[in-house]
Amino acid sequence: MLPLENVKVLSFGTGGVGPDACKIIGELGADVIKIESKDNLDFMRTIGPDINNIGQFNEANRNKQSFGVNLKSDKGKELVSQLIKMADILVENFRGGVMKSLGFDYENVRRLNPEIIYVSSQGFGGGGPFSDHQAYGPMLSSASGMLSIWAQPDDPYPVGSNSPLPDHMASKHVVIAALAALDYKRRTGKGQFIDMAQTEVAASLIGEHYLDYTFNKRTAKPMGNRSPYAAPHGCYACKGTDEWCAITVFTDEEWDSFCDVIGNPSWTEDPKFAGLLGRLKNVAELDEKVREWTATLDAHVVMETLQAAGVTAGVVQRAPDTLADPQLKWDNAFVELDHPVSGKRLYPGIPFHLSDASPLQSTPAPMLGQHTEEICRELLGMSDDEIKRLLDEDILHSPANTESSGKGMFG
Amino acid sequence: MTKEQEGALSVYRILDLTDSWGAYCAKLLADLGADVIKIEMPEGDPGRAMPPFVDDIPHPEKSLYFLHRNAGKRSITLNLETVEGIDIFEKLVKTADVLIDNSPPDYMDYLDLDYPALQEINPRLIMASITEFGHSGPYKYRKGSNLVDFAMSGVMITSGYPGKEPCLLPGSPAYDAASVHANISILCALLMRSATGQGQYIDTSVHETSRMGLYPWIVPNYSYALNPGGPPPTHETRMGAAIYPVYPCKDGLIRVVALTPRQWDALVRVLGSPEVLLMEEWRNFMYRIGNTDDLYAIMIEFTEKYTMLELFEAGKREGVPIAPILNIADFYNSPHTKARGYFVEVDHPVAGKADYPGPPYKWTETPASIGRPAPCLGEHNEEIYCKELGLSKNDLVALRGAGVL
Repeated sequence: MLPLENVKVLSFGTGGVGPDACKIIGELGADVIKIESKDNLDFMRTIGPDINNIGQFNEANRNKQSFGVNLKSDKGKELVSQLIKMADILVENFRGGVMKSLGFDYENVRRLNPEIIYVSSQGFGGGGPFSDHQAYGPMLSSASGMLSIWAQPDDPYPVGSNSPLPDHMASKHVVIAALAALDYKRRTGKGQFIDMAQTEVAASLIGEHYLDYTFNKRTAKPMGNRSPYAAPHGCYACKGTDEWCAITVFTDEEWDSFCDVIGNPSWTEDPKFAGLLGRLKNVAELDEKVREWTATLDAHVVMETLQAAGVTAGVVQRAPDTLADPQLKWDNAFVELDHPVSGKRLYPGIPFHLSDASPLQSTPAPMLGQHTEEICRELLGMSDDEIKRLLDEDILHSPANTESSGKGMFG
Repeated sequence: MTKEQEGALSVYRILDLTDSWGAYCAKLLADLGADVIKIEMPEGDPGRAMPPFVDDIPHPEKSLYFLHRNAGKRSITLNLETVEGIDIFEKLVKTADVLIDNSPPDYMDYLDLDYPALQEINPRLIMASITEFGHSGPYKYRKGSNLVDFAMSGVMITSGYPGKEPCLLPGSPAYDAASVHANISILCALLMRSATGQGQYIDTSVHETSRMGLYPWIVPNYSYALNPGGPPPTHETRMGAAIYPVYPCKDGLIRVVALTPRQWDALVRVLGSPEVLLMEEWRNFMYRIGNTDDLYAIMIEFTEKYTMLELFEAGKREGVPIAPILNIADFYNSPHTKARGYFVEVDHPVAGKADYPGPPYKWTETPASIGRPAPCLGEHNEEIYCKELGLSKNDLVALRGAGVL
C-alpha cells in the first residue's frame, strides 16, 4: 500500500511552496489535482518560451493531474466546487486575499465540505498588516531575519543565494501540517483551517538567534562559516576556479588527524594552534594556512584524503557533482521521467524510505489542462457533449485549446 | 503551563533519542501535541553545550539552541549501554508509538536495539532513523557536519557574496532538511498503521534529503540545459545580488524581485519614474544582470529616499515584490509578527522567562503550541519511572548510583 492511498487533494497556487508540497503529497500516493487557469497562470509556467516545457515548473508539479478551468466563470466555479466536495485536503499559496476573491476562502469551502483540511501557506500569514503582501522565496529570508545574518562578516551587505531558500523548507512544513491534520481527521472526523506564515518557518529555523534577542537583548550579526566552537570551520578554495572543499574540525583528535594528513608542517606545531581556544583566537591565520594546503589540490582529493583520516570534509558540489556523487548513486537518488513535451529529464528522487510502503513513484508534471477531460468524465460525470461545449466556450482548458507558447518572463 | 487544548497528535507518544541535530523532528511533533520523551545519557545531550547561552553562561539548561529545539518535550536520563538501561528502555518501547534515533550506523544493532528486535517488543512501533549518509553505501561511515552536509547538498555553491567564499545558510539547514523528511515519513507511517496495525522502519539520510529537499530545482535546471533547445546552461556560482538585488534605503536594506518587464516597470514607478531608469534596455532582465554594478549605482540614488516599509507598501501597490531586510530585532518587533502572536512566552525553571518562536502555523481545531519549556536534564525521571513504570524512589537512587539513570 501507499501511505496516502485514496487521499484526494486539490492544489491551488503558484511558484514553489504550494506546488512542492503537493508534489510530495502526490509522491506519497495521494490523488492530487492542480487547479489551473490559463488567464492567471502559475507564474512558474511563464518563465520560459513554452508553458509546458519549464524545468522548475515540471519539477514542482510532478505527481499531479491538471484541471484547466476559468475560475472567474460561474460554471468553472461550480465545477471546482464539486471537486472541493470530494476532497480531503486543499492546499493554496496564492497571495493573501486571492482565494477569497475567487470565492474559495475557508469560510466558503467549509460550507461545501465541512470536514475538509484547508492549508493556506502564505509569505506572511493571515491576521496582520502584511497579510496581503506577495512573497516570493527570496523575500522569506529577507523579511524573517534570516538574510540579515546570511553573510560573511565583511560582506558589504547580505545577498543570500540565487536560490529562493528556504521556501522548499516551508513546503515540507505544509506537508507536515496536512498529514497531521489528516491523521486527526481520520480519528475524529474533524477538518480544520491551517494558516501558515512562511516567514515564521524561516524564523523557526533560526530560533536560537531569536532567543539570543529575547534572553540576551542581542541582535545577531553575520558569522559566515565560522563556528563559535570549531576551527577550522569553513570552505577552502581548491585547485581550479571557484572550487571549494568544506572542512570542519571540532575535537583535538580531529585536529591531530588533520595535521597528520597535511604532513605536519612546522606551523602546525605552533602552540597557538594546539587547543580549540588557540585555534579560534587565531582563526584568520589558521584559515590562511589551511587554504595554502587546499589551493594546490583538487577539491575531491581534499575530501577523500581528509575523510579517510576521520576528518569531516565535503566538496561544495554543483548539480553535476551531485549527479555523480557515489552515495547518491547508491541511493538511486535521482529519477528520470519522460514528460510529453520536455522528454526524458532528470529530477530529484523520492527521499522517503518507508520499509512497508509499496515503492513510491513519480509521474511527470502535467501540461496545462492535460487531465481536464478525464476529470470531467470520471469524477464529475459529465457528458462528452458538455465537456466539448465548455472547452469551446473557454470555460475549460485542455492542451488542445491552450496556446502553449508564452513570451517568457525575460522577453 | 499545561496543555489546555488537544493537539492534532496528542494521542501519540514519541521516544526521542536524537541529539541536537535531530531535535527539530520531534519538536515539530511536540508542537502538535505529541507526548515527546527525550531520552538522554546521564551526562546529557551534547546539544546542551551548544552556544549561545542565556547570559553567555555555559550551563546545561541554558543553551539557546537546545531550549528552542527541545521545547515541548519531557526528559529522562537513561544509559542504554547498561543491562538495566536496556531493560527499562524496552518497557518504554511498549508504551510508544514512535522512536526517533540519530545514532551512527550500526550503533542500535550493537545495543541489540535494531528495529526487528524492537518490533518484537511492540509490533506497532514506528522507528525513524536519521543518519549522515544512510545505513549502506560507499559513504556509510563518513563523518558529516552541518557545514559539510550543506556544502555537499549542491545549494551552497550559489550561496554568498559574488566572488567570495560560499556562505552557510544560518541555522542548521542540512539537519533540518533531514528532520522534516523524517517527520513526514513518520506521519505517513502513522496513517498506514491505522490501516495495518503494524509499525515500520524509516531510513532518512541528511545527505540525500538535503540534496533532494532544500532546493530541488537545481537538478532539472541542469538536466533541461543539456538538451538542444533548452534554456542556456547557467554556471552555478554566487549571483544572489544580480538576480535578487539588495539596495540600501533610508533606514535599512530592501530586496527586490523584479524579473519580468512588468515587475521592472512597477519598480520604476515605485521610485518615481526617474528618467534614467526609463531607458528601454533596463526592461530586459538579462541586460540588468549583465550591468549589475552600473544599475546598483543608479538605483541607490532613488532607493535611499524611502524607508523599508514605504518601499514594501509601494511595491505592493504597483505590483513588484519588494521585501524589507529585517534584522532579528526588526522581525521580532514588527507589527505583523505581533499581530499574529508568533512569539509566545515560555517560563523555564532555570533559564527564566522569555519569548520563544512559536509554531509557524495557526490551527483552528487543534491549536499548535509550545506546551512546556525544554526539559531540564532528567526532569521527568520520577514522573515517568515511578508513576508510569512503577519503580520506587529507592530504585531510582540505586540506578542513579549504578550509572543507569
